Amino acid sequence: MDVKKEKEKILTDEEVDILQEIMNIAFGQAASDLADVIDIHVILSVPFVKILQAPELPDYIRDEIRDICNISIIEQKFLGKFRGNALMVFPSHAGKELIALFGLEENTHIDADPVETLGRETLMEVGNIMIGACIGKLAELLKDSVTYSPPRLIIENHPCDTIPDSQLAADDSAIVLKTVFSFDKGSISGFVFLVTSHESIQWLKEALRKFIEQYE
Amino acid sequence: MQKMIRKILIVDDSPIARKMLKSCIPRDQGYEFHEAGDGREAVEKFREIRPDVTFMDLTMPVMNGYEAIEEIIRIDPKAVIIVVTADIQVKAVTKVMKLGAHMVLKKILRKEDVEDALLKAEDTLRKFS
Repeated sequence: MDVKKEKEKILTDEEVDILQEIMNIAFGQAASDLADVIDIHVILSVPFVKILQAPELPDYIRDEIRDICNISIIEQKFLGKFRGNALMVFPSHAGKELIALFGLEENTHIDADPVETLGRETLMEVGNIMIGACIGKLAELLKDSVTYSPPRLIIENHPCDTIPDSQLAADDSAIVLKTVFSFDKGSISGFVFLVTSHESIQWLKEALRKFIEQYE
Repeated sequence: MQKMIRKILIVDDSPIARKMLKSCIPRDQGYEFHEAGDGREAVEKFREIRPDVTFMDLTMPVMNGYEAIEEIIRIDPKAVIIVVTADIQVKAVTKVMKLGAHMVLKKILRKEDVEDALLKAEDTLRKFS
């Protein structure tokens, strides 16, 4: 089945529009939370919703990030009625730049491998703040409650042809919510992908209907 | 007292966001609604219809809200632009106010915030008239 037909089958155009707007609001919250911690302005883009078959996901992510060939990916799982994986993709130099933005350079003498360790931890912290705020807002708007796994650096400094295979079942569908962001300082830009499996879709459709009902 | 707001332009790339905003505007005031899906279209519609109030999103394709505000203020420095955005970072708010926006409303909108914003816009337009 082609993607368009699959999309029609899973979510209506209106449901996609609602989801896109909710993602826009959720990522706005994430940007604001990060800007409260470090003195930056996160430049946002229009979020994008795509329906895929699970096996297409690694290729899709690879295509989307092909301009950034050395990447780090932070993953955090979220569990609620709405459940899935959040992936935050940064260029691999982002860790070092973020250390400077956090004003942490003076701490780099503590460890034997300080810059790498601190960079890794800073990336995970930024991922945690942004994913948490984004998913938290999304869940709040859809009247859900979610818990999170700790953030994990699943790819570090590897070329973009090493995207891991999807953890979804082969015949599963995935809703991918993508937002591109960049910072006004330094040269950091990245992507957030939220991937949710088929089992969340019935709940999601009902939650979207209830959400928009408030505005009818 | 004479009503100052008749034409309202709603600018947002999301049709759902436009619908949500419209639902927060009182229906009994006889407002005439116009819509635009990006900043470029907003500037064209502004030139054409000269709305009394423009509700403007910031994150949009083709031309973003910042650029659209700049162009609209160039066309009419007294234009009343109310920014409606999910980008609630202090720097974003400061920037649009410097560009000449009247005020900023945070998404998700509440009916009372929109009504209050329209009352303030009425006052401003009355002072200008």
